[in-house]
Amino acid sequence: MSKGLAIIMFSGEAEKFIPLAVLTQTAANLGVPVRIFVTGYAMLYFLKEKPEPRVTKEFEDVAPKVMEGLKKIGFPGWLEVLREAKETGDVKIYVCSMMAEAAGVKKEDLDPIVDDMVGATYFMTSTEGYQVIFI
Amino acid sequence: MAKITVDARGMACPGPITMLVRAYRKAKKGDIIEVLATDPGFEPDVKAWVERTGNKLVELKKEDGVIKAVIEVTAKD
Repeated sequence: MSKGLAIIMFSGEAEKFIPLAVLTQTAANLGVPVRIFVTGYAMLYFLKEKPEPRVTKEFEDVAPKVMEGLKKIGFPGWLEVLREAKETGDVKIYVCSMMAEAAGVKKEDLDPIVDDMVGATYFMTSTEGYQVIFI
Repeated sequence: MAKITVDARGMACPGPITMLVRAYRKAKKGDIIEVLATDPGFEPDVKAWVERTGNKLVELKKEDGVIKAVIEVTAKD
């Protein structure tokens, strides 16, 4: 088992938040620490005011059916799963300070699920030896 | 020794394991946790969880689309 998971959440595409949530919750269930570094357009979905979800262009035709299916199988939504994961285990969510600066985002604009705004150096050193996942 | 029932029917992955972990945290050594789930991934998932945590899988069966796992809490002091 790995020492921990370092997940770099970069994409802002709606469906990519699902594996983020599921992998984080699974690691938390197994007692594996998770550190998430939110950057790129993904950051916009970690603000108090989130843009409308945007699905991958090539799958726009099937997306509504899949989203409906997720509701049907009782998937509580990626943000809720992340919240549960934080209650279950050692999970920290960090927003990239550089991307935040570039987008004019202040700490008070962040969703309360976010633990802190940090730089890449902090993230990289605090996840040394962790398995890295880029989404 | 208590018997704890976790009804995770209708929940998608990783919901049933999350519920099992929650029950496990409150459980004591010797307790029995029974989990009911319908997520098709639950069978291999619960086996992996038991193996990883060092508890005992007393029973694992599927009936009418419901997977029932009975776990004895053995890895706690």
